[in-house]
Amino acid sequence: MSLEELAFLALAAVALGTAAAALLVRELVHTILWIALFFVDLSAIYFLLDAPFLGVLQLGVYAGAVTVLLLFGIMVTRKRIFSRDAATGIGAVPLALAVVTFIFLVASVGELPQAPTPVASIAPQYLSEALFGTFGPWLLLLGLVMLVAVSGAIYLVREGRE
Amino acid sequence: MGALNGLFGYAFLVPLLMVASFAIVGLAGGRLKRLEWGGWVAVAFSGAAMVVGVLISVGEMLSPSSYTNVQYTWLHLPPAPGTFPNGFELVVGTLVDPISALLLLVVTVVGFLVMLYSIGYMHHDRGLPRYYAELSLFLAAMTGLVLANNLLEFFVFWELVGVCSYFLIGFYYEKPSAASAAKEAFLVTRVGDVMFLLGIFLYFSTYAQAGPAGGWAANGFVFVHGAQPFVPVGTGNGTTLTIAGILILGGAAGKSAQFPLHVWLPDAMEGPTTVSALIHAATMVAAGVYLLAVTSLFLGFTATDSLVIVAIGGFTAFFAATMAVVHPDIKRVIAYSTISQLGYMVLAIGAGFAMVGLYHLFTHAFFKALLFLAAGSVIHAVGTQNLFQMGGLKKRMRLTAAAFAIGGLALAGIPPFAGFWSKDDILAAVFSQLGSHPAYWPFFLLAFAGVFLTAYYIFRAWFLAFSGPTTRDPTLPEAHEGPWVMQVPLVVLSGFAVVAGLFVFLPGFPGLLLNGAGVAGIPPHYGTTELLLSGASVGLAAAGIGLAWFLWGNGRVFVLPESSPAQPVCRLLLARYHFKEAYDWVGLRAVYTVARAADFVDQYVIDGTVHGFERAFAAISDRLRRIQSGIVSDYAAYVVAGLLLVFVLLLLVAPWIVARLGGS
Amino acid sequence: MTSLPIVGFVALSAGLLAIGLFGVLTRRNLILILISVEIAMNAAILNFVYFAGFLGGAPALRGQSIAVVLVGFAATEVAVGLAIVLALHRVRGTINVAETSELRE
Repeated sequence: MSLEELAFLALAAVALGTAAAALLVRELVHTILWIALFFVDLSAIYFLLDAPFLGVLQLGVYAGAVTVLLLFGIMVTRKRIFSRDAATGIGAVPLALAVVTFIFLVASVGELPQAPTPVASIAPQYLSEALFGTFGPWLLLLGLVMLVAVSGAIYLVREGRE
Repeated sequence: MGALNGLFGYAFLVPLLMVASFAIVGLAGGRLKRLEWGGWVAVAFSGAAMVVGVLISVGEMLSPSSYTNVQYTWLHLPPAPGTFPNGFELVVGTLVDPISALLLLVVTVVGFLVMLYSIGYMHHDRGLPRYYAELSLFLAAMTGLVLANNLLEFFVFWELVGVCSYFLIGFYYEKPSAASAAKEAFLVTRVGDVMFLLGIFLYFSTYAQAGPAGGWAANGFVFVHGAQPFVPVGTGNGTTLTIAGILILGGAAGKSAQFPLHVWLPDAMEGPTTVSALIHAATMVAAGVYLLAVTSLFLGFTATDSLVIVAIGGFTAFFAATMAVVHPDIKRVIAYSTISQLGYMVLAIGAGFAMVGLYHLFTHAFFKALLFLAAGSVIHAVGTQNLFQMGGLKKRMRLTAAAFAIGGLALAGIPPFAGFWSKDDILAAVFSQLGSHPAYWPFFLLAFAGVFLTAYYIFRAWFLAFSGPTTRDPTLPEAHEGPWVMQVPLVVLSGFAVVAGLFVFLPGFPGLLLNGAGVAGIPPHYGTTELLLSGASVGLAAAGIGLAWFLWGNGRVFVLPESSPAQPVCRLLLARYHFKEAYDWVGLRAVYTVARAADFVDQYVIDGTVHGFERAFAAISDRLRRIQSGIVSDYAAYVVAGLLLVFVLLLLVAPWIVARLGGS
Repeated sequence: MTSLPIVGFVALSAGLLAIGLFGVLTRRNLILILISVEIAMNAAILNFVYFAGFLGGAPALRGQSIAVVLVGFAATEVAVGLAIVLALHRVRGTINVAETSELRE
């Protein structure tokens, strides 16, 4: 077992653990801490996968912006930041659904080529060429969606709305 | 071809004229300045209809022929092997042949006279436009029925006649007795109507499958002339045809008030007397006899049917006459005489002499209308129908007394009045069949005895009403004759009552009494036996009149002693053999029980099933409703579950099915 | 150049998706639901990145590009989601979805 594999296993375990912890802890602020850790861990996985640009993006957008946004949301909707969430039991039906989904997805591995294939490293400059070349329209579309989303968000939260 | 036969194509104008009259009087009659004017409109239209009717029947007399025309094809089915080998057509058409011309003559002439008489008789009644409109529709329906060229069209008009009789019997609908009499007439004849319809179906299914044969046209329903009546077709149809014939007889018995469906006719006296005259002479009851005659001529009856018809007719002829013997109501006496006379017609038709029956229908129409209109004249004058409150009217109402006497003589069968000829023909006709059917004997004897009763009861009525001292309340105004519109019909009908029987001796008239196959309808020859029979029946009638004079003449009032053994019989007769009570009992007990059972089934079985479904769905939806919690997470769960289901189907079930189907 | 077991990655992304799914279905707090959705979204992005490298060459570029765009979409989604959370909080005073059941009506 190579070092990379070991690193991957460790990072994967952390990712699953932090994701589960984020949903299971009762303090909402702790949830934010756990999810921040999860994002950072995922970013590490991206680096492991030789996708450094995405790793950075993950750190900047998720671990940075999204986490802060979520924290901000909690601060606005809570009188006290450290307050326990309402009952968060583990329902049998949702658990079953989640487990079945998991089994299904893992079972589909059989359909894929099994041999461990070398993962190609992609230098950021090639990615930027692709993004602004072939995928230019996609980026434009993303920008448009973001514009609409921001307008919608402002519309939703603006003052004096009935 | 006779000169007038070209008119046959316009025969449909007769019912059309009356429908026009119905529409005009019915829609605009209420707006006229004087309501009688509506009556004059109806008189004018029925007069026009009478002119057409008379011309057509004269045309038939001069040159008997059969004309048929299809005005409208309502339904056409192509031939289908197996079910309808000949195809099937429902048409609306006219058929002018000797017998329909005969009936047309009767209906239009009597209809016109009754219409005219009504102007005087009804002038102080309310609801005149309604009266004249309904009377017009009644005549339209009857003439349409007479001219119908197939059984279904016949049935349509038959029902129209029935509903018009309902309207007219219940004309004084504020009176509970009139309203219930109308309902009774409608419901009792309805029993017959249902049987008639079933009979039509049975005939149709038999003949439609068996192919063209006998009197049934290739397309199923149209009357065809010249075909031999009753050719048994196919195999094993005898029983079916017998049943069909009995069902047709049931329809005719309902309309023509034959035993055991006779109960409605006496109660139908609740209507205006003019309506009674029309119902009894020309329209309603004639329809039943006409149906029997048509069926016997075009379709034929089996031997069993004939026996049943003879039995019903002969029995009714006597049975109804017995009830007339004791009744105190002038109109009801005449009503019973109608039932009795219809019995004679049915008897003749059953014995195989349809034309003789129709001949009696023809003469009877005139003298019965005469009797009713004369009775109406009396009622108009004295304001009561009770014979015991009349008396001595002869001096005040000479014309009416004479008219009633002529009608009575005709009814009793005294020569040379109309009734004599036709009634005698019936007796001779049945007598001629006695050899072939021994079972006819009792019914022949009953009918023969009926002659005596007929003469007795009608003259009892005459003596009570017209002879002797007056028994009226002297404070009431004097009785007087009606206006000219009432007198003219009496005179005209008296004339007919005297001479109608002699029509057979007119050149041409016997042509109306030829059936489709050209067979002379009038019984054969008058030999010694027939003459003796005639003499015997006239003697019986004379004896009846004599007895009536002996008991009731000159103001005598015959009172049956209390101790007389005949007393219970008398009470039974007055109670009309308790038929109504029996029917009520049947209605209450039997029908009510059935209705209760049906109600039980309806409530618990049918409703139970329905409510069961309802409750089941309610329970299911109550469970399902809980799914709609309104909580987003639950909906998300459903979405995920559905998605997984799709996966399962797509990835597991579908390949499994494909493997099974493809076999690979 | 690295080689990592495919089963591990599939199991990781499937596990993250299951966790996200479970969170969406069980959590009542809207912010937690939003976080669950983000976890599931990350599972998808991870898949894109992994299989992009798995295929190499032009497909790899395509996969990573899609991943980049998806990150952008996810961030947008968080923004709109939070806006909804705030709006809901202002109108109803709570962000507990169990207490908002207007959908039933």
